[in-house]
Amino acid sequence: MDISKELRKQIFLTAYSGGVGHLASAFSAVEILQMLYIDRVMKFNAENPDWDERDYFILSKGHGSLVLYATLAQVGFFPKAELYKFCQPDGILGGEPNTLEVPGVEASTGSLGHGLGIGIGIALALKSYCRSNFVYVLVGDGECQEGSIWEAVMSGAAFGLDNLTVIIDHNRIQKMDFVEKTMGAARHVRFGGGQIALGEQFRSFGWQVKSCDGHDTTALRETLTGEWQPDKPRCVIAETVKGKGLSLMENNPAWHWRMPSKKELKTFCAELNITQEELDECKRRI
Amino acid sequence: MQKAYIKTLYDIMSADKRVCSLLSDSGTDYDLLMARDFPAQCFNFGIAEQNKVAVASGMAKMGKIPFVYTTDVFLAYRAYEFIRDDVCFQRRNVKVMGMGMGMGMGSWSTLGPSHHSTEALAALRALPSLTLLCAATPLELTRLVRFVYETNGPVYLRFGMSAEEELFGEDYKFELGKPIMLLNSGTDVTIFVTGTVAAPAYHAAKKLRDNGIAIRLYNMPTLKPIDDAAILDALSSSKYAFTVEEHSLQGGLGGAIAEILAEAGEEVPLKRLGLDNCFAKGYGTTADVRKLNGLDTDGIYNQIVNHINGGKTK
Repeated sequence: MDISKELRKQIFLTAYSGGVGHLASAFSAVEILQMLYIDRVMKFNAENPDWDERDYFILSKGHGSLVLYATLAQVGFFPKAELYKFCQPDGILGGEPNTLEVPGVEASTGSLGHGLGIGIGIALALKSYCRSNFVYVLVGDGECQEGSIWEAVMSGAAFGLDNLTVIIDHNRIQKMDFVEKTMGAARHVRFGGGQIALGEQFRSFGWQVKSCDGHDTTALRETLTGEWQPDKPRCVIAETVKGKGLSLMENNPAWHWRMPSKKELKTFCAELNITQEELDECKRRI
Repeated sequence: MQKAYIKTLYDIMSADKRVCSLLSDSGTDYDLLMARDFPAQCFNFGIAEQNKVAVASGMAKMGKIPFVYTTDVFLAYRAYEFIRDDVCFQRRNVKVMGMGMGMGMGSWSTLGPSHHSTEALAALRALPSLTLLCAATPLELTRLVRFVYETNGPVYLRFGMSAEEELFGEDYKFELGKPIMLLNSGTDVTIFVTGTVAAPAYHAAKKLRDNGIAIRLYNMPTLKPIDDAAILDALSSSKYAFTVEEHSLQGGLGGAIAEILAEAGEEVPLKRLGLDNCFAKGYGTTADVRKLNGLDTDGIYNQIVNHINGGKTK
């Protein structure tokens, strides 16, 4: 099984063990985290999460925690057994990631619009130490409605932070509906290029912007590691599908925060290659 | 008082390169001098307080000691969630410096309630892992800034921004959580005050003393954590307890003292002086606005005397 399928399966089993989870938000960012951690675009040391030479990843859309947990466990920051205690009283993995408890989590997030500012603080400090570590911040496209995101975008350009890349998980869906339907009228380029509108916003704030298929790890890697100008922060708009990998869930706003019914569970298991034994195992471990 | 802050921070920054000053268009000429002398330690984030606090959290994670400085209201209210989630919850070594505490923005109070941090203590006292301090005078502020620098962890320090009267001598000694005696003529009446309203409270206490009332006046620079035993000790043999603050009666110094008294089962009656479920009235000098709101020397004096006389004016 390829690794993205493996991660999606692990994400679902994690959420299934906890009985809750923002599945669709996690599924849309699988390849992004796979590229950073498993394809090792980022430098890190799972044995020593505080390694000085590491790059920094911040999940600003904290509710996507399931994909971060599955990836961190996959590369060895903590045992996979911990995943089965997701949102359980004896576990450390909550619905939103906690930096004080979870190895590899750089910042506690949850309320939207915080992670980018934290990432800017890390990038500024790295610059002042003349260190070459890199900072990656994953934000949601819905999250970009928060005013504090634009305060942070403004400061990233003002301080010329070319050691910082914002990756936008551009899945076009927020909790209630499509982003375009919710705040589309505020975008200065109409839909059909909703992604261009968001990119134009970053560009107009002094960032350099590229976009690519957010489910293609090669495209993601080439975009991230390609040619960039110095002295300007970077924005990669990753074109994604919310709920990617599950036919019922893909591009369907109803799935922001829900688990499958008994009937839907059969489809999930079929599409994620999950056996009844694996489901039972989740419940046994709780 | 601002001058005392900048001067102390200047000395600290010159000795310790980890220390940074983070402004949000909130500096003065002194800050420009600081930025000239320590350009690598001074940052201005524009009029954007929320991001500035988030950035400070990231910088502190990386070993910097950021002093985040702007008007008290823009930090305590506008950036509250960032102080809570990014600083307190993650236990980052960030120093939040709220200037212009209470009802005064300098010697003037012309801007009204949008610039009054008269509910800040109620909001900030509830934050886990936060040390919460208020400076009454320039000398106290100098000592508190040093203490803040030497303390690891989240701290919020509030202070004034004009020529506050100095009430302390060089023998001033700060101990976290403990009250500091300002005046002592006996035990009948004990008054606690915090922050820049200490000066009118001090003059009111002197007037009470001169009129034969046995009083003790304590300054309370620490709002969190408070040493309960030290408060109870300060109140020993008191017939009346009072609190004076440029703050709502809910959740500030009065609320904190009330909690301690109630939990200890002490029977000394407490009267809180401050803003009673209202925003501060009026415009003018800070002294004018204190007078309009009963927190000038005469206002404090009269409220205390009236209370002791059971509501009857002498």
